[in-house]
Amino acid sequence: MLCQNCEKRTATTFIKKTINGKTTQWHLCAECAAKQGFDSMFNGVGFDLGDFWGSLFAEPSARSITDAVRCKGCGHSFREIAESGKAGCPTCYTTFYDRLLPSIQRIHGKTGHTGKVPNSGGIQLKNERELDRLRKELTDCIAAQQYEKCASLRDRIHEIEKEENPEQ
Amino acid sequence: MYNKSAKWYQKSGTQGDVVISTRVRLARNLSSVPFPAGLSAERRNEVTQRTREALKESDRAGDYDFLEMENMETRDALSMVERHLISPEFSKCDKGSAMLLKKDESVSVMINEEDHLRIQVMRPGLDLDEAYKIADEIDTLLDEKLKFAFDDRLGYLTQCPSNLGTGMRASIMLHLPALHERGAIQQLANTVSKLGLTIRGLYGEGSKPEGAIYQLSNQVTLGISEQAAIENLKGIAAQIIREERAGREQLRRNPRFEDMVWRSLGLLQTARLLSHDEFMTLISNLRVGVALGIVEGISLDTLSGLISDAQPATIMAAARKDMEPAQRDVERASMVRSRLTRTGELS
Repeated sequence: MLCQNCEKRTATTFIKKTINGKTTQWHLCAECAAKQGFDSMFNGVGFDLGDFWGSLFAEPSARSITDAVRCKGCGHSFREIAESGKAGCPTCYTTFYDRLLPSIQRIHGKTGHTGKVPNSGGIQLKNERELDRLRKELTDCIAAQQYEKCASLRDRIHEIEKEENPEQ
Repeated sequence: MYNKSAKWYQKSGTQGDVVISTRVRLARNLSSVPFPAGLSAERRNEVTQRTREALKESDRAGDYDFLEMENMETRDALSMVERHLISPEFSKCDKGSAMLLKKDESVSVMINEEDHLRIQVMRPGLDLDEAYKIADEIDTLLDEKLKFAFDDRLGYLTQCPSNLGTGMRASIMLHLPALHERGAIQQLANTVSKLGLTIRGLYGEGSKPEGAIYQLSNQVTLGISEQAAIENLKGIAAQIIREERAGREQLRRNPRFEDMVWRSLGLLQTARLLSHDEFMTLISNLRVGVALGIVEGISLDTLSGLISDAQPATIMAAARKDMEPAQRDVERASMVRSRLTRTGELS
């Protein structure tokens, strides 16, 4: 079978990706697979993200995407971001969220942020994350039978829940 | 730029036989301002001033020096790279880029590198929790005034998508002579990459390992909390440290190895010319000899300070003048001799 990208060399690599429930399959030669970052994904060396991101959008479907939409924050088009592998400003991520998401997922394996939330990011989100963390810790503590710690965790959870819904 | 007061890197820390230092770096950006690459020098300057003001209004301001890159001598900037205070890319930055540097050099904030802010905390030895705690505090403090760009789904927004999420890169610098000797690093690199980590040479991306010093850091920043990434790194580090120590025990039983340690010390104590490469090889041999207790009377602290101070640009920064490599070799040999002979008698 010929490589689906260059249509010249024999395909030796089979890539199946499922992003947000949509599955695509590719048969690629070693060279095209390498360009897509699929050699280094398994050995972790020589990984140039700019190339990786850029080549991802060099797929035929992406080449046809027009430059009509531009980011309000910096004027970058999607193509400019894809070619450089870098966003122009924070607003680029909101403007092109749907189109950037697949590559972001390819880079990190996941898409939802679960880390620190700044105070300016909204107290509600901060509380939600904190509750998630505390509940997880509570489950671990129960399993480890550390009951004293469990009690203090429970208190902290109730405190935050009360903050969230003061009328209860 | 180079003063003689006590610095964090002149000490060794927890697991100091294998772990030289820990670094935590946070990438942060101001919302509604384009990333530095797309800014004019004037607008970069605005970012710099806003950051400076944000710190000024806190009670921490007195701990930091404010340094503008356009006023910095090249050798001073390169010396900062050697001391891991700034990135190689940042050392080339000019007008509109600046840094905040804590007086003991354990914290630096690069302003207008790839992102508006890169907050960086360094600790001797293995100390990820403390390094993150300090970085987290500075981040929270600066965010109060600066309001960093953040998205519920993507976390902290950064120029490069590889830093989205926590924006955190946590690294530990490891001295791995036994694993290096055994040729085990490539295999290690393969293994850690499957776990979302990466292992590279001393000065990060694309650098070659000098003196068997490697950097282990997290790669994935989205979908994983800071704490989880740090726990992950700690777990892998513990395994690497165990392997390295086992490897060293094997080396210890080899008479050729003991001989190499002593010969290295002999050369370091007597040489009149020491090139950087030769120095790194010899000091690496000596370091493992000291860590194993083969050589006594020399501390890991002394060696940590020496590894940092004997780097090419740092030698020139301390002398406040540029030098040819041959001149530096004389200077380096002299510095090494004086620091390694004060420490007591040889058996």
